[in-house]
Amino acid sequence: MILQLKNIFKWVNSGGNRIFLLNDIDFTVNEGEFISIMGPSGSGKTTLLNVIGMLDGFNEGEYTFLDESVHDLKEKHRANLYKEYIGFVFQAYHLIDELTVYENIETPLLYKKHSSSERKAMVADMLDRFNIVGKKDLFPSQLSGGQQQLVGIARALVSSPKLILADEPTGNLNSTQGEEIMQLFKKLNDEGVTIIQVTHSEKNAAYGSRTIHLKDGLIVNN
Amino acid sequence: MIKNYFKIALRNLFKNKGYTLINIGGLSLGMAIVLLIGLWVYDELTFDKNHDNYDHIAQVMMWRTRNGKKAIRYAMPYPLGNELREKYGEDFKHVVMSSFHGDNILSFEEKNLSLRSGFMESGALSIFSLDMIYGNWDGLNNPNSIVLSETVSKAFFGTENPLGKTMKVNNELNVLVTGVYRDIAHNTTLKGLDFIVPWELYSVLYPWVKAAKDNNRWDNNSYQLYVQVADGSTMTSVNGRIKDVIYNNLPEYGRKSQPELVLHPMKNWHLRSNWKNGVNAGGFIQYVWLFGTIGLFVLLLACINFMNLSTAQSEKRAKEVGIRKTVGSSKYQLINQFLSESFLVVLVAFTVAVVMVFIAMPWFNQLADKQIVFPFKSVTFWVVSVVFVSLTSILAGSYPALYLSSFRPVKVLKGTFKTGKSTTSFRKALVVVQFTVSVILVIGTIVVEKQVDYSKNRPIGYNMNSLIMIEKTTNNFDGKYNVIRNELINSGAVVEMAESSSPLTDVWSTNGGFEWKDKDPNFITSIATNSVSHDYGKTVGWDLVQGRDFSRTFATDSTAFILNEAAVKYMGLKDPVGKTIRWNNGEHQVIGVVKDILAKSPFEPVLQTVYMINYPNTNWIELKLNPERSITSSLSSVEAILSKHVPNVPFDYQFVDDTFAEKFEAVERIRKLSTIFAIFAIFISCLGLFGLASFIAEQRTKEIGIRKVVGASIFSLWQLLSKDFVKLVMLAIIVATPLAYFGVTKWLNNYTYRTEVSWWVFAISGIGAIGITLFTVSFQALKVAVTNPIKSLRAE
Repeated sequence: MILQLKNIFKWVNSGGNRIFLLNDIDFTVNEGEFISIMGPSGSGKTTLLNVIGMLDGFNEGEYTFLDESVHDLKEKHRANLYKEYIGFVFQAYHLIDELTVYENIETPLLYKKHSSSERKAMVADMLDRFNIVGKKDLFPSQLSGGQQQLVGIARALVSSPKLILADEPTGNLNSTQGEEIMQLFKKLNDEGVTIIQVTHSEKNAAYGSRTIHLKDGLIVNN
Repeated sequence: MIKNYFKIALRNLFKNKGYTLINIGGLSLGMAIVLLIGLWVYDELTFDKNHDNYDHIAQVMMWRTRNGKKAIRYAMPYPLGNELREKYGEDFKHVVMSSFHGDNILSFEEKNLSLRSGFMESGALSIFSLDMIYGNWDGLNNPNSIVLSETVSKAFFGTENPLGKTMKVNNELNVLVTGVYRDIAHNTTLKGLDFIVPWELYSVLYPWVKAAKDNNRWDNNSYQLYVQVADGSTMTSVNGRIKDVIYNNLPEYGRKSQPELVLHPMKNWHLRSNWKNGVNAGGFIQYVWLFGTIGLFVLLLACINFMNLSTAQSEKRAKEVGIRKTVGSSKYQLINQFLSESFLVVLVAFTVAVVMVFIAMPWFNQLADKQIVFPFKSVTFWVVSVVFVSLTSILAGSYPALYLSSFRPVKVLKGTFKTGKSTTSFRKALVVVQFTVSVILVIGTIVVEKQVDYSKNRPIGYNMNSLIMIEKTTNNFDGKYNVIRNELINSGAVVEMAESSSPLTDVWSTNGGFEWKDKDPNFITSIATNSVSHDYGKTVGWDLVQGRDFSRTFATDSTAFILNEAAVKYMGLKDPVGKTIRWNNGEHQVIGVVKDILAKSPFEPVLQTVYMINYPNTNWIELKLNPERSITSSLSSVEAILSKHVPNVPFDYQFVDDTFAEKFEAVERIRKLSTIFAIFAIFISCLGLFGLASFIAEQRTKEIGIRKVVGASIFSLWQLLSKDFVKLVMLAIIVATPLAYFGVTKWLNNYTYRTEVSWWVFAISGIGAIGITLFTVSFQALKVAVTNPIKSLRAE
């Protein structure tokens, strides 16, 4: 078991009413799973992903990640935890425009204690693995969307996380590019990386081993 | 890691060139001003400090109390030096009597030069620790010696060693060169002292000095006295002991003014030489403080710009912050990143500033009358610079760093990120601060300008057109008045000639002991006296308001007085002409009253003055050049005639209007400096305003688009966007007005003769500030207002 959510509630107060973003979420993820989260707009998919990624907090409930009680941890420890074990992939890629492909992939390593030669080796490994060695000195704006997302995934993977959180990774891509990215995820999952993705598309969800449907912050089926 | 920070910082700077230019430009301008002011302040604070005995040197001064008012005097009586040496020897390492420095003629073979010089006791060389190139500090022990400055030695002897040469002082005395000292530094009180001759020669050369010496005159104050306090003594303790030395030695009549000695330490000579009612009342130090403060404010303005522009960029940087946080950066690491970024910017700005200062140095030196050299080789300077750069980057960078690093990734990455209202209001507050400072500087500048104008337009009481003055530096002039005058007038070069004891632009002597009918017996008089020739009034063109001028047809005029209006008022005379005034055991009849002649400070009331005929007592020649002839030809005729009658005296003249204009030099300098600072302050503030305006315009693009779609005109949009800024500047004006009023009133109080602070000064500054704001903001406002709304709305 990699993580477990127990009775997670998250709400906002608006004009005297309490609106639940997450409503009593119970959810366990085991190592090696490839989970797809689906649901209509505003159902809480991204919120759930952010809570899992520890980028966002919650109001009530228990969250255990690799035997650590996230709800009891201080901000700093939490940051260390996700820094160590989680890689993020975004719909809009979110590469740093001022950095080259190489430097973008290197960024997470800068915040960990890796020597410069180690970093070089790890980044080179990634470039190799995704076949983008020739593009390493280009800036994000010089790449196609699919290539940018490739770099985004490479960056998420470079520090060998246990878990990849992907928020509509193919949302901004055409179908061919989207297909390639999903194939890549499948391959990564086969190699043992745990993946949770948020998606609108049944077809993409089908790549996963399990699908969760959300509606109004509630898990409708599991 | 640092490398990565700098890399991204550089790429960001290059990417946003306009922003970088404004940011670095404003910052370097601010830093350049701070550097210049810093160097200037340092130069002022180290004034006189290159004398080794700086902490122990003092000039002996005297308080005198007349009619309840205490006034300070620099002039001491002849016997005081010996008295202190003999009776208070253990308190002093050196006691050095000295003449007031003035021009004397120095000759060698055929060459004559009129040079600034002093008659000083032999301790002078060691007390001021002069840097001897030839000879040593004993140079003045020989009573017929002379010690030259390096420049003078070069002027006479080139690179040759001049020791042992015989020179001539004032065409009378043969002296032996016994030393050469390196020129005294520019930022010292003694600067420009060309040669020193022994004190003994003073009484040899001048009968009035000899009389004071022979008669042990304690009541004639005409000399300076420098002392070096002994290592074991303090100025305060010495003050206590020597306080009454003059008083105790004076006869009864002299004690009325309660003379009281006080030491004026060297560290106060330059910066604190104002005195008021028995205490030192500061002096130039207030300008050191003032400009120091202005420097800091200009830096603050530049830093505020930096903060404003950096936070305005925040939306562009927000995404980066979000990404960095999700891939594992801590807040602390981001703060570091942004601080190193601002350090980089400040460092670049500092480099630019150093170049600017280096280029501006000669110009600034001229403006401030300094000889500051850029201290490239000074380790201290570079250490201070590193501290300066670090502090500036922290001051400018910490707010943006804290602000940017606090972004939550969830928010900024979702794309719904908008900067909050609170940061905008903080930025608005910064703009208010900037404009408050600028408006204060503008008001101050206008008031200084007004004061200069006011004092320059003050009536001077005589006509200075084509009027020149020549100091009679030697006794060779004596008894030749009529011959020279006739010949000059006959030559047609000169319309009229006169002589006087004080120059037209100064008061050289004041006297007491005047008595007249109805005078309050307790009133102790002090009146300026000017001994003149019969033709003085005609030459200078004074303005007779009552009675008549001196005339050779009345033999009795040799004892007559002409008063100025201030003297009439001072004495309280109703009908002055014909009244008798007793003075110096003689009776003097007032024959005329003239309008006040402005001789001393143009900011102070004219001194009560008595003019009398006394040819032997005169020191100056005044010549009214013929206005029909060219000045050059007149001057050469004058030179020819003078050199015929007084040979071997260099023709050294000054135009009275030039000398008069020097009285405004200090205040003119302040005017120029404050004008420049005010202009830069406004410029820097406008840069900041421009940045903020572009930011807010960008932020409101969508709102403007919607307004335009529903029918707003360009004018109404311009109004909408400009209104907020005008409000801010109005607020700044409201804050600035009382502060500026307080400041300028305090400054004007330095001057007795001063302009008033009119309401229009504030009005003009306020309107000007609003005008400049509108100009700056309109560019951005119009740019947004004319944008096609389809564009701005599609961007959402």
